[in-house]
Amino acid sequence: MKNLLKETYLLDVGKISKSIERLWQEYQAVLDSKNPSWEAMNRARAILFFLGYFYPEKIALESLEKRVRFIRPKITIDDFFKALDGKDRKILGKYSKNKKFQKLSKFYLLVKGIKNRVENGSYLDEERFNRLYSKLKPRGYF
Amino acid sequence: MGKTVQGRAVVIKKRKDYSKIKPGTILIAKEAHPDLVISARKIKGIAIEEDNKLCHAAIVAREFGIPILMGMEGIVKEFKTGEKIALDLERKTAYKIK
Repeated sequence: MKNLLKETYLLDVGKISKSIERLWQEYQAVLDSKNPSWEAMNRARAILFFLGYFYPEKIALESLEKRVRFIRPKITIDDFFKALDGKDRKILGKYSKNKKFQKLSKFYLLVKGIKNRVENGSYLDEERFNRLYSKLKPRGYF
Repeated sequence: MGKTVQGRAVVIKKRKDYSKIKPGTILIAKEAHPDLVISARKIKGIAIEEDNKLCHAAIVAREFGIPILMGMEGIVKEFKTGEKIALDLERKTAYKIK
């Protein structure tokens, strides 16, 4: 997670993608293991929280807000998101050769990809995680 | 009065409430689950307590061109499913209509 933060500072989209996949595989490995420990389950919980919420909605968003300001011709963060999510041909065409726009687009689509990932029929395999977590939760845990 | 959208409210309190979404729905929620995408084409507007440009509701709203009001604190308690409501997108308010 520390590496992912560093790679986000560097905006190395290739390495960010690899780090996200590494975390995802680690999360899946905990859920797939026959007898995961309570500690391992909480590691999985940390990854789920990090990939599903904290990384996209805090770290990646702040990184995008900070960097979109450097795109020329200027574009607001709202228009940047609208162009990509709404597949606005006019804006996408305007920035098709703009390196900063293209790099930030790639980063955003990567982040959106992990945020919307579905596994075993549920968002971020959350149902399986919740089932296993409840089973292992010690009595009286608070 | 600014630009408004009108429809019947569906207040999301549990995940199964997403099945109540019908064409013309104004979705009211504290935060949205990704299941929202399944019914997105039926939704006319969204008013949500959460306020983040990368939350599921914001992404789905942009992808499907659905008007959205975010950061609507306490809205889940203000309305009931089935009520006819309007979202004023310029004033960022929601109100019941007859």
